[in-house]
Amino acid sequence: MHHEPVQAKLFTKWSIPLLALMLAGAAAFVARFAFGLGATTNLSNNYPWGLWIVFDLIWIALAGGAFVTAGIVYVFHGEKYHVLARPAVWMGLLSYSFVVVTLLADLGLPWHFWQLAVQMPEHSAMYEVSWCVGLYVTVLALEFAPTVFERFGWNRLRDIWRTWSPVYTVAALGLFTFLMSHQIWMAAVATVLFAVIAWLTRPSADRTGVPVILIIAAVTFSTMHQSSLGSLFLLMPDKLHPLWWSPFLSILFFLSAIASGIALVMLMDMTVSRVFRRPWNGEVLAGMGRILLGALVVYYAARIADVAARGQLAALSGRPGALFLIEVLGGGLVPVLLLSTDALRRKKAPLISAALLAMLGVMFHRVNVVLLGMRLPGTMPGGPTETYYPSLVEWLVSLSLVAAAIFFFGLGAKLLPILPRLEPTAERAAGASDAATRG
Amino acid sequence: MSKAVLEDTTRCLGCRSCQVACKQANDLPAERTHLEKRRLGFQNPAALSAKTFTVVTNHEVEDPRAPAGLRWVFAKRSCMHCLEPACVSACPVTALHKETDGPVTYDSEKCLGCRYCVWACPFGVPTAEWDSLAPRIRKCTLCFDRLRDAAAPAELNGKAAPPEAQARMAEAQAKPACVAACPTGALMFGERDALLAEAHRRIAEHPERYVAHVYGEKEAGGTSLLYLAAVPFDRIGFRTDLGERSVPSHSVPAMSAVPPAVIAAGGLLAGIYFLSRRRAEVKAKQAAPAKDAPEAAVPQDRKE
Repeated sequence: MHHEPVQAKLFTKWSIPLLALMLAGAAAFVARFAFGLGATTNLSNNYPWGLWIVFDLIWIALAGGAFVTAGIVYVFHGEKYHVLARPAVWMGLLSYSFVVVTLLADLGLPWHFWQLAVQMPEHSAMYEVSWCVGLYVTVLALEFAPTVFERFGWNRLRDIWRTWSPVYTVAALGLFTFLMSHQIWMAAVATVLFAVIAWLTRPSADRTGVPVILIIAAVTFSTMHQSSLGSLFLLMPDKLHPLWWSPFLSILFFLSAIASGIALVMLMDMTVSRVFRRPWNGEVLAGMGRILLGALVVYYAARIADVAARGQLAALSGRPGALFLIEVLGGGLVPVLLLSTDALRRKKAPLISAALLAMLGVMFHRVNVVLLGMRLPGTMPGGPTETYYPSLVEWLVSLSLVAAAIFFFGLGAKLLPILPRLEPTAERAAGASDAATRG
Repeated sequence: MSKAVLEDTTRCLGCRSCQVACKQANDLPAERTHLEKRRLGFQNPAALSAKTFTVVTNHEVEDPRAPAGLRWVFAKRSCMHCLEPACVSACPVTALHKETDGPVTYDSEKCLGCRYCVWACPFGVPTAEWDSLAPRIRKCTLCFDRLRDAAAPAELNGKAAPPEAQARMAEAQAKPACVAACPTGALMFGERDALLAEAHRRIAEHPERYVAHVYGEKEAGGTSLLYLAAVPFDRIGFRTDLGERSVPSHSVPAMSAVPPAVIAAGGLLAGIYFLSRRRAEVKAKQAAPAKDAPEAAVPQDRKE
């Protein structure tokens, strides 16, 4: 697979609103630290988490597209989807980086972050997520590194990367296992296992290709933090409505992240084709549509079975019931129908709608979990709580980071070999037969 | 060895000495007064905050046993110091900590300010300093610092303190400020087991005076603040929907599953990798003409 930077002007008419929004967001970010959380946000003791946490949860679910795509291509050997791998990883790297920026704004005392490295709480989901996301960002950076090496011809660095990134990855997985278990033997088992996997899947003797252990680590870390983001809410059985609270929240968060990740990667590829005037990847997108269909069926089957098993399906009523139905019908049933046949998956309109609805459905789930499905008893001694609506600063910080992600994604695609090289049209028809000799 | 506080609300006058003593002991600033007499009676402020760790609630409750059918009930509310605290289980940096002798304490030097504890607490206790540029979490610590160094001053008004005065001061010092300030004995400090026994003894002795329930004995896995009352607890602002299961017990299984899941995920992914590589090889062999076969059989992932 050959990649090349997109030949296009770095700044277009679209850059102006994006840059303006980024500038406003930077000002809001500064204001947050200059005037404090209370003055600049509408967060309170009743709503200690708001828009920023919702954005983070949504964004991490969507950025799950990075690990799902890498997993499909490198672990499941879905060579057909190779064209999506680099853009998905670039999207993931940007997303996770900006999620961390949001967290910096959200944390009251972010300069104490190093305490995460010196404290070892027993069973804190927040601790798990912090470490897991931190380590995953480094793995994403390592996954993305060859794109940079290739662009600048840094072959020496690339060789160092091939040799040492697996070592780092195995160490990271071992460390993570130790921090979560406090057991030396557990960490030793993990380290040995991943070292053996790294050795067995090492790049071929001609020293080309991605160390597969990087991808296995990416999928493993993603599985852990995507699910633990759900575990965060296990401590709120008294507040989160039973349509959302479940002892299996972690599994539901993980499954929904797979679905929304695939949907986002599809939408990303569709947008790239349109914005950069590249051909529509009909074959690839139809295949992704089939995978999305599977992911949606698995997730919503689990979601409905979980609600039914706890006897909540029969008790569906009121506003929570309506929110649940919107989620399951709009985000689940409709896209499943739209993706149900091969003919439908090859048509643009149903495919776009299905991906969009699948993504929105999972986004809506996260909004419901953090805000709409929460029944807040209020600060002791309790009582009516004021309603929460995000402040301007909160909106600006969050929206500007989305703008930054879009802007830098485009900039990256124009500067770095992220998107696959387009063969001249005549050759592209013959491309399939000569695929074996390429590379 | 777990300390606890028992409040017998039938002995509480609503004098709010405890509330004032708490302010003094923790050196907390004043709050602006907003009375909501219809909803809260003379309670002030309306809720705990970073400036208020203890608040006395006022409740005028219909009770046929009371003269004229109405009874005033007052309750001193503050951190419940759960036996298995949700806030401690939530905290990613152990800034919140359950001491072995009962108090749930907080160390702002460790805190990230993530406010997960504020969300997680079923009683709505931890609060953040929203108007600060370095917002700490604030809550009652059961005056654990007083309990630790409960030495009485050797001098009293410039003279050597007589032994009995020293003993009296040491005793007051060895209690949380709220308990030491209580003029009616509504608040008692001691071993949790002993206080529970005392609470049940009072219920058994005067069943006409109490509802037969010690709030905090089992709520959310048990708390170190225990309450007796003449009226059902939901009538005086206590949550009665929490059940007896501790909050952290809901998340411990999921978090304990993480390390084995890491190992299982690694093994599973490696298995899938080799199986699908084998399948790709076989497929490539079948698809390619004999001449190209060796080249086509190169695993697809090895080509970047």
